[in-house]
Amino acid sequence: MRRAVYNLAIPDVILNTVNRASRLALNPRLRQVFLVMFALVIAASAADWSGPEQQLARKIVAVTGPGAVALTVENRSSLSKRDSDIIQGGLHGALDGLGLRLVRAEQAAATVKITLSESPSSYVWVAEIHQGSADSAVVMVSVPRSQGANTTHDSVPLSLRKIPLWAQEDPILDVVVLEENTAPTHIAVLDSEKVSLYRMQNGKWQLEQALEIVHARPWPRDLRGRLVPARDHLLDAYLPGVICQSTAAMPLSLNCRESDDPWPLVPGTLSGGAPSVFPSAGMANGVSVAIPQMKAFFAPSRNFFTGALTPGVGKFMTVPKFYSAAPLPRDKYTLWLFAAIDGQVHMVDGVSDQAAKLEWGNDLAGVRTACGAGWQILATNAGNGAEDSVRAYEIVDRDPAAVSAPIEMPGETTALWTESKGDTAVAVVRNRETGNYEAFRLAMSCSQ
Amino acid sequence: MKRFDWRCLAVSSVLLATLAARAETRPQYGGTLHVAVRAAPGSLDPADAGPDSFARRNITLLMFETLVTMDDSGRIHPALATSWQASAGNQRWQLRLRHGVKFHDGTALTAEAAAVSLRAANPSWNVSTDGDSVVIERDAADPEMLAELALPRNAIAQRNAGGKPVGTGPFHLADWQPGKKLTLGAEEGYWRGRPFLEGVEIELGKSYREQLMALDVGRDDLVEVAPDQAHRAWPEGRRLANSAPAELLALVFARDVQSPEDKLLREALALSIERGSIRSVLLQGAGQPAGGILPNWISGYGFVFPTSTDLPRARHDRDQVRKVATWTLGYDGNDQVARFLAERISLNAKDAGLSLQPTATATADLRLMRIPLASSDPWVALAGVQAVAGIAPGKSRGSTIEDLYAAEQAVLAAQRIIPLFHLPVYEAAGAALKNWNLRPDATWNLADAWMGSGKP
Repeated sequence: MRRAVYNLAIPDVILNTVNRASRLALNPRLRQVFLVMFALVIAASAADWSGPEQQLARKIVAVTGPGAVALTVENRSSLSKRDSDIIQGGLHGALDGLGLRLVRAEQAAATVKITLSESPSSYVWVAEIHQGSADSAVVMVSVPRSQGANTTHDSVPLSLRKIPLWAQEDPILDVVVLEENTAPTHIAVLDSEKVSLYRMQNGKWQLEQALEIVHARPWPRDLRGRLVPARDHLLDAYLPGVICQSTAAMPLSLNCRESDDPWPLVPGTLSGGAPSVFPSAGMANGVSVAIPQMKAFFAPSRNFFTGALTPGVGKFMTVPKFYSAAPLPRDKYTLWLFAAIDGQVHMVDGVSDQAAKLEWGNDLAGVRTACGAGWQILATNAGNGAEDSVRAYEIVDRDPAAVSAPIEMPGETTALWTESKGDTAVAVVRNRETGNYEAFRLAMSCSQ
Repeated sequence: MKRFDWRCLAVSSVLLATLAARAETRPQYGGTLHVAVRAAPGSLDPADAGPDSFARRNITLLMFETLVTMDDSGRIHPALATSWQASAGNQRWQLRLRHGVKFHDGTALTAEAAAVSLRAANPSWNVSTDGDSVVIERDAADPEMLAELALPRNAIAQRNAGGKPVGTGPFHLADWQPGKKLTLGAEEGYWRGRPFLEGVEIELGKSYREQLMALDVGRDDLVEVAPDQAHRAWPEGRRLANSAPAELLALVFARDVQSPEDKLLREALALSIERGSIRSVLLQGAGQPAGGILPNWISGYGFVFPTSTDLPRARHDRDQVRKVATWTLGYDGNDQVARFLAERISLNAKDAGLSLQPTATATADLRLMRIPLASSDPWVALAGVQAVAGIAPGKSRGSTIEDLYAAEQAVLAAQRIIPLFHLPVYEAAGAALKNWNLRPDATWNLADAWMGSGKP
């Protein structure tokens, strides 16, 4: 279903005079067969509309009485043509069942114009009934809109794939996969007020536990946060000015404290630290890669890192304030990319800081894969009217080279973090159609 | 019935999408937003009974908050109240307040403070407190209570010792030069999170022309655009947004129908007005001809009210009246388009044998009025128009769509008001303003807006 539109926007205006019904009126047997078939179709595919169809039909017949009427149906709502056709068929059936014969206008004792309209909260179906020289009568019904439209997302068969992880109405800050077989079976979802643990059971995600995040101060706007699996307990949650640590055993609890401690920028597995305590979320490609751990301080009342690093990149203990960062290991050093709040990307190798204005957005994540040069940067696009997308790049010398086609996202990307294994990233998107937040795993495929 | 203009849809869809998109970057903190508006409210108190305008509502919602809010689908959401309960057939409403919210002067939001504020805005309500809850009791069932509480005029304000209202909203008052300028600062401790903007400066009492010039020279970032100028503002490369048709342009009689002859003459006037050509020429295609009070996007049935001219019937009605007095038609003398509209309506009336005398004076037999619809809730919007037009509210509201239709028909049948057009609100924004949009009811959301580099 499309979103509601205002009075200006009346897509798919369909004005159907009832030629079909008038033809059927000439052949009662054929008409009966047709109506039975139509009723079956309605019963199979449009049961939701049958109540209001019957209700409106009864109101119409209460005005016209049984007899011959000419009927037109116009859709000036956001209902799709398919739904409008189904409703039109249902109305025909309901009116016929109440003794109305649908005929041409010149044969009719009354004309009925039904308009499928809408208000912010409801569909409104209005019947304007004209009988002879009398003033027209108006009857109507309202049908509450369904809450939340279903949308489907096509998977894009490109070298960069997105795999749906989770979706919800409230903003998602991060999702971490705790266990997986061929697909994730245990995940943790971070939002502004809690960490929710879900386990896949019988093909459905079941809420296992919700751990409240206690915080004294209001969160900043454009709230950001990270979940980091831990060795001796399940996970840590990093939010602006607050760090929470879970316990190790079920049932879990979450202990939150006000803290300006730095956030880790390198997943534990890539920094040479302990691999995940969950074997199923183990190392990628069987390759052990060590990047010196890097942490950065996050501004407690803003949406960016302050630029202060620990231990720092070579001689650089601070870099410009940034939104996100990604490492690219070289033979003898690690090149760090920082998406600064001034829109530039700073490439810091420990000796120099080279700033460049790239056509990237503010979210970067580094991934270690078996593809190409082995390390890629995933970056959101810079907008400027383009579709929301994420693309993989490699940095040759200091120039980025796209190594994948852009993968279209269903809305703006609000978070992009490297996963704990290091070979994939989690992207959170606010769906532009539904307004819901959707988390995807972004995985590189070497096939292309 | 006039078919809708698909070009309007295309333009507004593209523009709204452009303005609403967060585009290339994460929101940036800092920067001052410069806004200009025509209105020059004499008071910042939400409960003040001064003239209503969309600008006033938006200014109110920058500094103050309501107990609940209503989204674009008409659903109610918690705001300063976290939960609510109706009892006694929607006659008694109890709303539990959010903990930890503070007014800008540092005092805590309490149920007593909220009750005092609501009493000031609604003297006829019986408002009391029960622990951390506000209790509102009405004489009759009020199923639209939550929609009413979402109105800016019901925003919660605490009047300090100097009589100045203090709110809990995203911005606090920094400087106030009545009639000239309002300066707001970001509220660091705002419970929903500090706004991205450092502050907002609002120039008051600026004409449409002055506003567009200020936008063009980069002095202002957000300005209003006259409906008849919207078609020009767009090709000139400005970033334009429009609301749903949220304003009713109507003729409002000063008195009830006085006699059967008076009734016939009012009907003749309503039938004589050429809405289609007025829209094309004077409004330059803006707005929708209106036969009813509520626009179709709010009621869903607005199209059933006829808007076409019927001069023969108008003359027939007129001819049944022996003596026809000249009516004075009042309009806002500061609004050039209003003057043209009044003159054009007078010509239409003359074609039907009626005599209308346009006047910019305050008193007139009927007035050309621009009435901002109070809410996207149809019952609240209808009641708001009735109040502005001086029409007594109906005894019972009902709950079905047909009850609403009957109520609107009853208002029209009283012939105190002749709807003319439903007009959208148009606003133009500079390239630096990001993540701002105009909601269908013409309210801004500036708490999430931010100032970018200036490139669109």
